[in-house]
This record gives sequence, structure tokens and C-alpha cells, in this order.
Amino acid sequence: MSPRGRLIVLAFGGTGLAVLFILAALGLPGFGGTSHPYGQRTLPNAVARHTPNVISSINFDQRAFDTLGEELILMASALAAVVILRTVRAEQEDAAGEHSYGPAQVYDALRLTGYLLLPVTLMTGVYIVAHGYLSPGGGFQGGVILGSAIHLIYLSGDYPALARIRPIPVFEAGEALAAGAFVILALGFAGQVTAMNAVVGLEVGCAVVLTLAKFFEQALLVRKQT
Amino acid sequence: MILQIAIGLPFTVATLLAATGRWLPRVAVDALATLTVSALAVLLGVVLAGGDTTVWLGGWGEGVGIPLVADEVSTGLALTVTVVALAALVVSWRYFAEVQAIFHTLVLLFTGAMCAFVLTGDLFDSFVFFELMSVVAYALTGYQSEEPDTVHGALNFGIVNSLGAYFTLMGIGLVYARTGQLGFVAIGRQLHGDHSTMVTVAFALICTGFLVKAAAVPFHFWLADAHAVAPTPVCMLFSGVMVELGVYAVARTYLTSFAGAVPAGAVRVSLITFGSAAALLGGVMCVLQRHIKRLLAYSTISHVGLLLVGVGLLHEDALAGAAWYLAGHAGVKAGLFVGAGALLNRFETVDEHDLHGRGRSMHVAGTIFLLGGMGLAGLPPSGTWAGKALIEESGGHWVLALGVTASALTAGAVLRVWLRVFRGAGPPRPGEAEPSQPDATRHKDAETEFKLSRLPWTMLAPGVLLVLAGLLLGLVPGGVIGRAVEPFTHLPGPAPAPWTVTGVASGALAVVLAFAVAVFGLRGHVPRAALLHRLHSGHVGDYVAWLAAGVTIFGLLLLT
Repeated sequence: MSPRGRLIVLAFGGTGLAVLFILAALGLPGFGGTSHPYGQRTLPNAVARHTPNVISSINFDQRAFDTLGEELILMASALAAVVILRTVRAEQEDAAGEHSYGPAQVYDALRLTGYLLLPVTLMTGVYIVAHGYLSPGGGFQGGVILGSAIHLIYLSGDYPALARIRPIPVFEAGEALAAGAFVILALGFAGQVTAMNAVVGLEVGCAVVLTLAKFFEQALLVRKQT
Repeated sequence: MILQIAIGLPFTVATLLAATGRWLPRVAVDALATLTVSALAVLLGVVLAGGDTTVWLGGWGEGVGIPLVADEVSTGLALTVTVVALAALVVSWRYFAEVQAIFHTLVLLFTGAMCAFVLTGDLFDSFVFFELMSVVAYALTGYQSEEPDTVHGALNFGIVNSLGAYFTLMGIGLVYARTGQLGFVAIGRQLHGDHSTMVTVAFALICTGFLVKAAAVPFHFWLADAHAVAPTPVCMLFSGVMVELGVYAVARTYLTSFAGAVPAGAVRVSLITFGSAAALLGGVMCVLQRHIKRLLAYSTISHVGLLLVGVGLLHEDALAGAAWYLAGHAGVKAGLFVGAGALLNRFETVDEHDLHGRGRSMHVAGTIFLLGGMGLAGLPPSGTWAGKALIEESGGHWVLALGVTASALTAGAVLRVWLRVFRGAGPPRPGEAEPSQPDATRHKDAETEFKLSRLPWTMLAPGVLLVLAGLLLGLVPGGVIGRAVEPFTHLPGPAPAPWTVTGVASGALAVVLAFAVAVFGLRGHVPRAALLHRLHSGHVGDYVAWLAAGVTIFGLLLLT
């Protein structure tokens, strides 16, 4: 289609969508009303099973099946990154050393900050995962912190060191096994909030590392074959 | 517990394969994946034999819990998914170089996601598994990422389907705000008699995502791009079952949740409009193709359009017909893709003109194309024929005309391929690709690691069996299919009988016309249709514009 034709179709569609959204919004319940049907059903159920955290009870018990789907979406996305960003025939992968991606010229202050923050960030991640059943937080949030923490090494200017401490096969296996454990927990033993938080944390952390690793390789090491 | 095991099995084994595939020999990966899907088929068979069941996950019960609803339609559909997945896995045994068992992992996740999608009784969960299905499908489409076409097709697929999914999620949000419910049945109870505009808009938005998956016109553009580049076993799953699940989801959402809220007349008009547009446009585009995988992809658009008309008639006989049609089409179409894969393996091209006469010695693949063409035309007693006869009967004359036209066009194109490639008929015309199909004549890498000296039986037998199953499915007694849709429609079970004079005559007519289309095509009477080719440009901006326009049209049809 010509750009002009595309614009006309899009303008028609966009106008229609805007009208539909406004019509829909007019039918929404008023702001700050007193009717909370889902809350009224879920709270007594959560309290009846002596849960300290209603959100966890919803995520990992009442609607554990949703979370199962989301866990698998994450795993599938990480696998997709592995498969689509792999080195293909027309490309070659260099060793990190060839590009002098060794310890880079960064300020000592930055390097020191990175190294100091690493253990603290890791600890925070573990804390968020472990206390997810009590306080805001949990496996997803803690996993993201854990997964990003080790990239502080990269920010401190040392890509080879990062590559050494995250062997891809281990993280792949960790991610997949954690997802498998979650499937079994969610379908057979829903409500084991602590265990489920832990495996979610493991899976999310590994998936973040894995996906970033693939993007790093693609951006830093893979180039067209010469 | 058996349902939970059935859902959990493919997912658990998929994660095991993802964790250990790097170290396992290929044979073990193949065996594990195939055994898992076979076991799943057995489990689903047991569930189907046991009759309707509803299981509340985690023992939560109505109110906050999530049900798995195994009625005959959903279990039957899950079983169809599993059978096609099994065939796809067997085909892939000798098929291509594997990356750390990720292909098998993805196929298992895909199978599990489709089963969970049809079995869940919760609207939000159906969205979650719709997304899982989509993410896995994007990865499978882009699996052979060394070719730019592949990445392009996967990207178009990803963008259009994700946009559709956002609309679905928005619609679910609206329904949830209105009712505080997420279960299909619970929503239906709350919405009964609620004729507000907002509910109608919510219905349109929810169905948009499903119609994108079902490739209804004008949401269909992604399908041919994705099918042209996806590996053959993946195309079997896409065309055989995944696309059809979109129609199932529309039917389920309307009949279970919105039947008491959105007027049936408006729904009928809109679904039939989208469905017949797809049936006709898909049929015409199918005839215009020379890239065999693209040709089969457009035939899927056309047939799924007919399926949508079957659902849109909102009549229990037509619904039974749609169920029948779906199963028959799954067998025939998946089988045809096996045939196309065999050609790709032999000659490293799927261009009809380049292949002129070169398939003469490939008797099995030729038989698949001939029988598959018959199946698409709806030769009695195929499942497609029985289903179509029922849809036509409850739809009246114009549906009859639509059904015959769509089947004749799509089957004609397939028979033309059979005549040209496997019989060497017609004058050879190699090399001149239409400018809009630059990928048609380009050399493709074979999907196998190295060229096999002869095609192994595992790459052909599944195709033959699937096509034969599709061709014989019409022999299932109508009462069985009729009873199956009963809990789905809440209407007294019909006992549909496709063996009427009109039914058999329309099947025979479609077969004759299909041969006519094939012969005309061989003589070169294929119009250039530059406008239609320009419309299917491969430009994702066009696709998005049409998606937005489609939602607007849907809204207009429902609200006026």
C-alpha cells in the first residue's frame, strides 16, 4: 500500500478505536465506589487459609495457574532469545579477548562502586525473594534484582569476568528446572508460597541473565563472516 | 487429578528437555518428546471417554478458583492438537539440525499451551495461554534465523498477534471491571441481560485477539508471511490447529459468556462478514500463489473463514458442522504440509514452476497432494465434506455458494500443484516470479541437515495417515458430533445428518469445479491481480493499519 493509503486506513481505524474506548470507559464503574466483588470473595478465602500475604495467596494459590502460564512465557522467551540470537552460518563469534573487551578503561571509583554494590545487591535480591510471602516483593521482583546484580561486573568494565561467572549451560538448566518445579508445585501443591517464591526467583534470575547474555553476545561478539 | 497431569506433563518434560537437551543424544530427545505427546494423547482419550468433567484447581471452587472444563468439544479439540503435534514430532525426527533440543522443548510447550488454552474455563487464563502459545509460535517461526525472510515473517507475526492480544486483554479488563468475574460461566451469569454498549465493546475487543489468531480478514496478513518461513513441522501445527483455536475461542467466549448480553443478530452479521471475506479472499489469493507453502497458507485462511461462518450462523447444526470441519481440515492440511516439506527437502525450493514435472518419481508425496486436494474440495466422506454440508444446510443458498466456491478455489490450487509438479502437466514456465513474491523463486536451504539419499518413511507416513484420517472422518456417526456440542451450546443435542442429496451434490460439485480451476490454472489463466498482491505487501505498518480498521468495522457491525 502507498503511505497515503496506509495513513487513510490507519486514521479510520484510529478514530474508530478512540470512539470505542470512550464508549467503553463510560460504562466503567465510578471511581472510589464501594463495590469490590473480587476483593470480597478473595479476602475471606485467603484469610481462611491463614495466609500472611493476600497477594501471595492470589499469585501462588488461588490463581497459581495464571502464574504457571506466566512462568512458562518467561522461559519460552528466554529460549526464543537463545534460538533466534544464536550465531548463524553467515556470522562468526569472536572470543571476547580479540576485541580487547578485557578490563576496560573506567574510573577506579566506578569499578570500586560496582564491586561494592555487587554483594549488597545480591543480598537484597535474596531478601526480596525470601520475604515475598510476608512483605511486598517475592520471586519475580527478587529474581529481576538477582539477575541484574551480576551485570554490575560488566558496568565496572570487565566483560570477560562477567562471561566467566555466568556459564550459559548452568543458567539454562537452572531456569528450566525452576520452571519445571513451578509447574509441579502449581498443579499439585498450590499454596506452598515460600517454595514457589524461591523457584520463581531462581527462574526469573536465570532468565534475565540468559537473555542479557544473548544480547551481549550479539552486540559485542557476533559479526558478519568476512 | 488426571486433567492436571495431562496439562502438567508436556510442560514438565519441556522444562526437563530445556535443562538437559544440551547433553542428551538426539535419539533420546526425539524419543522423550514423542513418548510424552503419545502419553498426553492417551490421557486425553481417557478424559474424553469419561465424559464431561470440571476440575477446580487447588481445590478453591467457584468464586476465586480456576476451573479446567473438559467437555467433549474442548477435550476433542485438545486431542486433535495432540495428534497433529505427534505427527509433527515424528516428521521432525529426521528433519533438521537441532539446537540443544530447543525445537522439541518449544513443540512440547506449544502443545501444552494449546491444550491449556482450550481446557481452561477462565477467561483471563485463556489469555495467558494464548500469550504462551503466541510467544512459542514466534520462536518456532523464527527458528531458522539465518535467512532475513524468516526473521521478517516472525516479526510481522509477533507484532500483529501481540497487538491483537493487547486488545483481548483490554476487553478482559472491561469485563472484569463490570462484573468482578473472570470465569467464562461466571461472567455469563453476571452479564445476562446487560445490554450496555460497554459490554458490546468489551466483546469486540476480546474477540479481536482471537480473530487475529483465526486470520479472519482483515486480520489475516501475518499468516502467509509466517507460514512461508516457518519449518514444515511447525506449519503443520499452525495451519492444522493453532489458527482454528481462534475460532474456537470466539465461539466459546460468545456462547458461554456473552450470549445473554450481545444480541445474536449483530454477532451473526459480524462473524459471517469476517468469515466470508476470509473464505473468498483466502481462496482467490490461494489460486494466485506459486510458492507452495504460501499457497497452503492462504487456503488455511479460506477454510478457517468457512469455519468462522459455521460458528457465526449460531445454529447448533452449524456448530456441529464446524467441529467436524475443524477435525477434518486439521488432518488434510497438516498432511499437505508434510507433502510440501518433502518437496523442499528434495529440491530445495517450493516454487511450483521451478518444480514442474520434477516430482514424477515421488509417488507418496504426489498421493498426499492428490488426496489432500480432494480433502480440501470436500470429497465425501471426508470430515471437511461432512462439516461443510452441515454448515451449508443451516446457512441456506448463499452459504452453499460460498462453501463450494472456497473449496473449489483452494482445492483447485492444490490440484494444480499436483498436476504440474507430480504429473508434469502444462507448459513449463520457470523463473518468472511476480515482483510481489520475491521469495518465490529464490533458492531455499533444505531444512534437513544434509540431503538424505531417499526420504525416510517417518517424513511421509504421518502425512499419508493424516490425510487419510481427514478423508474418512465423515464416517463418524453424526449423533456423536451432535452430542459433543450439546454442553457447549446448552441446546438440546442435534443429530446432524450430512448424507443428504444436497450435501453429497455440493461435495461432488466442489470436486468437479476444483479440477476445472486446476486445469484453467495450468493453461495459464491466472490473473495478475496486482492490486491484491500490493495489498499483501509484507509491510507491517499496513498490517497494523488494517488491524485497527478491522476493530472499528467489528464495532460498527456490532453496535449498529
